[in-house]
Amino acid sequence: MARLRLPVLLVLVAFVTVTPFVVMVLVAFAPPGGRTLPGAFDVTRATLRNFTDVLESADITQWALNSLIYSLVSVLLILLFASMAGYAFAKKRFPGREVLFWAFLATLMVPFQATLIPYYILVSEMGGVDTYWGLIVPTLANSQAVFLMRQFIVQLPDELFEAAKIDGASEWRVFTTVVLPLIRPVLATLGVFVFLWHWNDFLWPLVIGQSEGMRTLTVGLATLEGENVTINQIMAGATITVIPCLLVFGLLQRYLTDSIATSGLKS
Amino acid sequence: MSKVEPREAFPDEPEPSERAAARHGRTAGDGAPPAGAPPAPEVAPEAVAAAVVTGDSRGTVTVTGTLAKAPPGGPADIPPGGPGSGPGGRRWSPVRRREALVGLAFVGPMLALFLVFRFGPTLGAAFLSLTDYRLSGEWDFIGAANYTRLLQDDLFWESLGVTAVYTALYVPMTVLLALGTAVLLHRTLWLRGFFRGLFFLPYVTSIVLAAVIWKWIYEVEDGLLNTALGALGLGPVDFLGADSLVLPSIAAASAWKGFGYSMLILLAGLQSIPREVAEAATIDGASAWQRFRWVTLPLLRPVLFFVLVIEAIQAFQVFDAMYVMTAGGPVRASYSLVYFLYDSGFKFFDFGYASAIGLVLFLIVLVFSLIQRRLIGREED
Repeated sequence: MARLRLPVLLVLVAFVTVTPFVVMVLVAFAPPGGRTLPGAFDVTRATLRNFTDVLESADITQWALNSLIYSLVSVLLILLFASMAGYAFAKKRFPGREVLFWAFLATLMVPFQATLIPYYILVSEMGGVDTYWGLIVPTLANSQAVFLMRQFIVQLPDELFEAAKIDGASEWRVFTTVVLPLIRPVLATLGVFVFLWHWNDFLWPLVIGQSEGMRTLTVGLATLEGENVTINQIMAGATITVIPCLLVFGLLQRYLTDSIATSGLKS
Repeated sequence: MSKVEPREAFPDEPEPSERAAARHGRTAGDGAPPAGAPPAPEVAPEAVAAAVVTGDSRGTVTVTGTLAKAPPGGPADIPPGGPGSGPGGRRWSPVRRREALVGLAFVGPMLALFLVFRFGPTLGAAFLSLTDYRLSGEWDFIGAANYTRLLQDDLFWESLGVTAVYTALYVPMTVLLALGTAVLLHRTLWLRGFFRGLFFLPYVTSIVLAAVIWKWIYEVEDGLLNTALGALGLGPVDFLGADSLVLPSIAAASAWKGFGYSMLILLAGLQSIPREVAEAATIDGASAWQRFRWVTLPLLRPVLFFVLVIEAIQAFQVFDAMYVMTAGGPVRASYSLVYFLYDSGFKFFDFGYASAIGLVLFLIVLVFSLIQRRLIGREED
């Protein structure tokens, strides 16, 4: 009997979990006009009007572009700098290595909001308000990325790097032709997560992108509220915002969930 | 410190770095593992997972608890301070010196970023909180004045109370939802991967998106919930407009968005419990609930605790959901601590005061992390 009840419960919870998404999409495709309800939704009247309207009235394309720049540039730079640092922490001995590594990790203890003000003052003094670099560069100091890279690279056998060095490869060549290919799986995992973090980020883009043209999609979506837009248009905007997340998720679902679930926890 | 000591340099050294280290009295296990030996799995894997997944790009605090035990577990790398491990106690051959320079060069870009954008602002926050830094950039040192002002500020206590109540609502909701779905998924094989993905789906979206959708769901006029209630003949409920309902409503929306992460962690925890334990209990005649209560739950306790603290830390930093759904209202009923910080900084440009609020937030989060470390450490003993 329990065998029968459990799937029913699962389907119920699943229903509640997806309902908000379904409702979002239904409202986004419903004809504009205030009182649209999912119950009253008629597929034959589905329209793209809300999407075209919101794309025309708001700077959504610009916001999406900003989000893409913010996310993709951050992914590339974080992967590069973090793998370099991870390689050094894992395989090179240099003075202060342990202290530095722990200093990097210790920054995880400080919530971003606690340092928001000095962050903002610093970046604005450097002229970074309303610029792409001001948005991107401060977010590159990512301790989790360095930590993950080091933990992965440390497990690679030293012989691989030494063989390349004996063959006369420069350190940089060893890094690009031996290290980077070997750490491809962790680069992919981290890349996906960095992309999602930045795509979904809110507080920093809100604070640093002050003109309308510098908003990211999440900030834009939040400010779309209250302005003279219908709920249909807002849901169309929300749908546009969520598409990259769903794409990434759809392609890498097992990958993403495994990287958390195989955490193994304590045995 | 990295002065070359010719005495110790062996000109014909084949593999200088590790061999030399061994000759200098370091144990064999201190350097690279011998060829053929399996690489030491020196990091607690859950620390990695936690490190990847939690929080935003700037890293929330969530990892600290498990991090603590990662490096000491591994003899293969970063040696603990001790004889021969510090640069001062080691003699540097030319090869070693080159290696050190290469290492520093590779850490260089990230180190520069950390110096400017992490260590700097962290120290800056402490310093700014002792000043009355103004929009113009002028400031005076005012000692602890910001802190005494905080203690007398009703807004501060109000926002602290709101944040505490929100946390007290959000954490049980999220963890119960996570635990419930984890147990369900653990006990059913039917389409497990599909459901696991489905429950995790909201987690990959932004809290702003969740807030936008749920704001509409909660709306009095044509919101989804009130339409459903209306169909049942129940009067409209002003979920976000009533003092007593606004925090539970926001917490529920946030729990919807966030429970997937804890679910995965708990599911992994459940799967690590040996089947035999539950089977033995079944043979002894325990009911499903008894098995859960007296076998599963105690074994799951460390994981459950980890998840509880992580979610609590998360909850204490709440801002986005309130900014989008209620703008802190009605009448500051959802005015969180970070909202107060944000307003102080970017509405009133009271940068010094806002920094003091930030420091209070840091201390609160630190206390959570310390409790977690203490208790998880104890579990391990």
